[in-house]
Amino acid sequence: MNQVAHDVLIIGAGLAGMRAALEIGPGVDVAVLSKVHPVRSHSGAAQGGINAALREDDSWERHAFDTVKGSDYLGDQDAIETMCREAPSDIRQMEHWGVIFSRAEDRRIAQRPFGGAGYPRTCYAADRTGHALLHAMYEQVMKRRAKVYEEWFLLSLVVEDGECQGVVALDIRTGELVMCRAKAVILATGGYGRVYLTSSNGLVNTGDGMAVAFRAGAPLMDMEFVQFHPTTLKSNGVLITEGSRGEGGILINARGERFMEKYAPHAMELASRDVVSRAEQTEILEGRGVEGCVLLDLRHLGRDKIVERLPQIRDLAIKFAGTDPIEVPIPVRPGAHYSMGGIKADIHGATPIPGLFAAGECACVSVHGANRLGGNSLLETIVFGRRTGAAASAFVGGRAMPTPSERHLKAARDRVEAVLAGHGTERPWELREALGTVMNQDVGVFRGRGELEEAARRVARVRERARRPKVMDRSRTFNTDLTDALEMQNVVDLAQVIVAGALAREESRGAHFRKDFPQRDDAKWMRHTLARYTDEGPRLSYGEVTVTRYEPMERTY
Amino acid sequence: MRIEIEIERSCPEEGKAPYRERFRVEVPRHVTVLDTIIKVKNELDGSLTFRRSCRSAICGSCAMRINGRSGLACDTLVESELHRFGRLLVQPMAHMPVVRDLAVDMGPFWDRVRAVQPWVSRPAGEEPEWPVERETLMDQDAVEEMDDTSRCIMCMACFSACEVSEVDDRFLGPAALAKAYRFVADPRDAEHGERLKVLNGTGGYWDCTRCNQCVEACPKDVKPMEAIVDLRREAIGSGLTDTIGSRHITEFLKIVRREGRLNEGRMPINMKKANPASLLGVAPLALRMLRRGKLPFPVHAPIPRVREVRRIIDRKGKGDEEAS
Amino acid sequence: MKYRYAYYTGCAAKGVCPELDQSTRAVAKALEIELIELTASSCCGAGVIGELEPDTQLAMNARNLALAEHLGLDMMTICGTCQGVLSRAHKELASPDTRNRVNAAIADAGGVYNGNAAPKHLLWVLIKDIGVTRLEQKVVRPLTGLKVGPFYGCYILRPSEYLSFDDPYNPKSLEQVIRALGAEPVDYSGRTKCCGFPIVLEQEANAMRMVGTNLIEAQDKGADCLVTPCPLCHMNLDIYQERAEAEMKRPIGLPILHLPQLVGLALGLAPTDLGLQRNMVDTGGLLADLARA
Repeated sequence: MNQVAHDVLIIGAGLAGMRAALEIGPGVDVAVLSKVHPVRSHSGAAQGGINAALREDDSWERHAFDTVKGSDYLGDQDAIETMCREAPSDIRQMEHWGVIFSRAEDRRIAQRPFGGAGYPRTCYAADRTGHALLHAMYEQVMKRRAKVYEEWFLLSLVVEDGECQGVVALDIRTGELVMCRAKAVILATGGYGRVYLTSSNGLVNTGDGMAVAFRAGAPLMDMEFVQFHPTTLKSNGVLITEGSRGEGGILINARGERFMEKYAPHAMELASRDVVSRAEQTEILEGRGVEGCVLLDLRHLGRDKIVERLPQIRDLAIKFAGTDPIEVPIPVRPGAHYSMGGIKADIHGATPIPGLFAAGECACVSVHGANRLGGNSLLETIVFGRRTGAAASAFVGGRAMPTPSERHLKAARDRVEAVLAGHGTERPWELREALGTVMNQDVGVFRGRGELEEAARRVARVRERARRPKVMDRSRTFNTDLTDALEMQNVVDLAQVIVAGALAREESRGAHFRKDFPQRDDAKWMRHTLARYTDEGPRLSYGEVTVTRYEPMERTY
Repeated sequence: MRIEIEIERSCPEEGKAPYRERFRVEVPRHVTVLDTIIKVKNELDGSLTFRRSCRSAICGSCAMRINGRSGLACDTLVESELHRFGRLLVQPMAHMPVVRDLAVDMGPFWDRVRAVQPWVSRPAGEEPEWPVERETLMDQDAVEEMDDTSRCIMCMACFSACEVSEVDDRFLGPAALAKAYRFVADPRDAEHGERLKVLNGTGGYWDCTRCNQCVEACPKDVKPMEAIVDLRREAIGSGLTDTIGSRHITEFLKIVRREGRLNEGRMPINMKKANPASLLGVAPLALRMLRRGKLPFPVHAPIPRVREVRRIIDRKGKGDEEAS
Repeated sequence: MKYRYAYYTGCAAKGVCPELDQSTRAVAKALEIELIELTASSCCGAGVIGELEPDTQLAMNARNLALAEHLGLDMMTICGTCQGVLSRAHKELASPDTRNRVNAAIADAGGVYNGNAAPKHLLWVLIKDIGVTRLEQKVVRPLTGLKVGPFYGCYILRPSEYLSFDDPYNPKSLEQVIRALGAEPVDYSGRTKCCGFPIVLEQEANAMRMVGTNLIEAQDKGADCLVTPCPLCHMNLDIYQERAEAEMKRPIGLPILHLPQLVGLALGLAPTDLGLQRNMVDTGGLLADLARA
């Protein structure tokens, strides 16, 4: 079987991808393609919660303001308003579909405070909200018997005559390359955390969709904005939810001081993530850290509360940090966690390439601007997964199934054969480590021109080396050495875009902090970075931020 | 530390029958089994095949058998394995066809999960209108009733460990049945009765041998066997009492109430009351047992103070206040 | 007498496996263990009552433990299933809230329980209280050359949350006893598996396949007999062995010994004192081999 054809083809079976699939109308043929089984998607790792103004004394406008402020005024306010206004219905629909939300005394969906929010509006399912949503979503996918191509790897986007006509994919099980024709393609492939050496992301988060779209001519937006989550475990970068701070956990330095007092006296530990990460990094760099970390202290919450509200993170701490948070604070540090940037998409998920849509973390609408609030990522996947599914569904009406030329399949085959032939000397992991080290050191929480220029050079060299990886596995059957190498090629392309954007943006905003330009500069820089692929490297241009009602203000917590 | 890891490999598609391969690798002390096999793949043999993603016991990708024990490679420490078993042997999960090395075909597992119709069933026509003004109200108690089973990450360790699944491929297995209980316990699900009925027969919750292997194996403390027992209780409570399994329980309780002990000599009689002719099948064995002095008389004097036991049973183990 | 226990026989030893009670008493006497039988103790529920009525089962076992507590002694069990149920009950009743609630159910039905009287299986008593060294010293007739396959059974090992005496995946206690008695333990994967007793009525073919597979594996690895600490396993492996042979289409004829029967042989006790003539799979050949060794 060398060819499949569907009206709508969705790449990625995480929350955004599956939500989109479930919104496709009757009479429209849809299939989902994923390089892992849907429930293995990284959406399931999200812990803390999903935001919505459910309560009568809250409002979507306040949620929107918190989000705009959180974005450090780089978020597009029309998109943010749409998301916040539709959030309550989306959450309730999820509940209707069977998501097991924790409940308040009044039997309604419980909500807790979260970073950067002026009201406790983060709905949660214990400390495994992503997991709860993901599994409920997959249950609906099973119910509707939606077609899923499991363990198929995205190789390239098929763009012909200026429009998207499908993708070429690798069936990992059989090693076969398949031309997947489609009237519309939705990319929902998640983030690119693995660009960094330590990340909370799963090993599958290599930004495949972003890289493939980028190489096919779609612009990537705001890629320099990488969220470093303040509380990741030292040993493996695994996430300790913000919910632990939402439940009252505090951060202390080597002196036992609650240092957030200095950086965000009002919101303290629940300031926006970029603020907290920078605070932590400063404490660490100035010698008040504990072995390169700060300490997350939950002891005062007491055993009962920890066991009831934060059982999973207690488990993680015991297993991976070797200590019980009931008794001992957890050593944590900032880790690459979320990609604010992504494929430029509008509020219907449409990208500048007709027929190509994007939703979820791999898209940049932009609802998160320069920094994402906790609880808004899960929300984005649901709201824009739905909207994009609806838009793609409408788009295909009346269209004929495209018949792209053979060259796309051939080009993909040539690329795979070249990698399999394996004349390189470096294993994918060596390249990944080389790249990740540069990114961690020079493109992290604090950035500066000198380091960024050096990073650009080193990334370019790694990218060159990544063209010739050393693949040891020649088999056709389930060759993950091959997919490792292909993912490596995606990751270096994205790293280049991130560095370029970071170097060009001479201001500090949200998660992007320049030591040499520590102030936010709205006059020059309140605009989106757009990156397009050229053989010489990413070409940058800039786009407007949509402002509706919130004029930029100073951002303090 | 320098360690040796032995891995069971195969590639049925390419005619490679299972074989064991040993690798020696240098690893830090606090390393997981997953870290180790990633290192082997990276540095020693890129063809070693396995699934993995989150490294934090939430995605369920890396389930495999480690020293015979089904579990997640990412939350198993090498040091503790070496300490307990004196070696490190890694094999693919059991009861599923192997695709390659440590990656198995999950199809048969997902077929079983699908067989319990794992979605919340609403009465027809109850899809909410947009905008959705309200959610279904639910007690936190109900949420907690589903807490264990909703924690499942579908890693399949339980299915791999299941002893009935070892001998009977009709059995739906712990994960599927635990998932069924999650819906039976969900006040929003309208299909309780149907679910219980469908799963009351062959392959359903009565086929579990209550060996606790799944409870022991589960990395998320789902306790699938307890969910299966919960299903049985629900079934009996809803009147589904015409099974050998349910009759076993009710007759057991009856005999214990009368005598204070279980009289194994009485049980077959009670059980076969519905089908006396089948007692004849047991007769030869019973005779042999009688000759060896192993056949208890079907009627026995009750234990001393049996009234106390009867009182407890009649009150269903509750104090007077609770029972009323 | 140095060792004293409240003796909880469980139901099987009073009915279908009288040889278990008989051999336990004989071994206790030889090891100077005083057993005070809890004659008023009830069935533990075997997990079966607990399936339908967990509160009832817990209350019945609180009463059983209270009976031992009133004697001021720990409780000794001789059935792996009883031990599993009682270990769990004991752990659950460690919580004062649970205890208070359950005591309300048994106060006028046996007396209250205060959290003492730990239930311990004979196997654990041998390893922990008597000790392997002392047991070795008491061996009069070492079982040299005898290859014994240990069959633990589920409930003395799992779930490890309640049963913390031995490693559920790599237990050693039976092997330690076997070696102390001069015999040689056989290593086979079935030693920690389920015998299928809970489904023998409900799905006999499956249960027999489980029995048969484990017996055959042990036998193929050289076992002369199996030893088990649970009479329910014993029932399935011994009484039902002929059915397992039919299911697996292969003769097996592997004798199954209760733990105290094996111990008793090494302590020099007469086979009839250990009720070995009652075992359904004949032990005559085994005893003859031992006599010759």
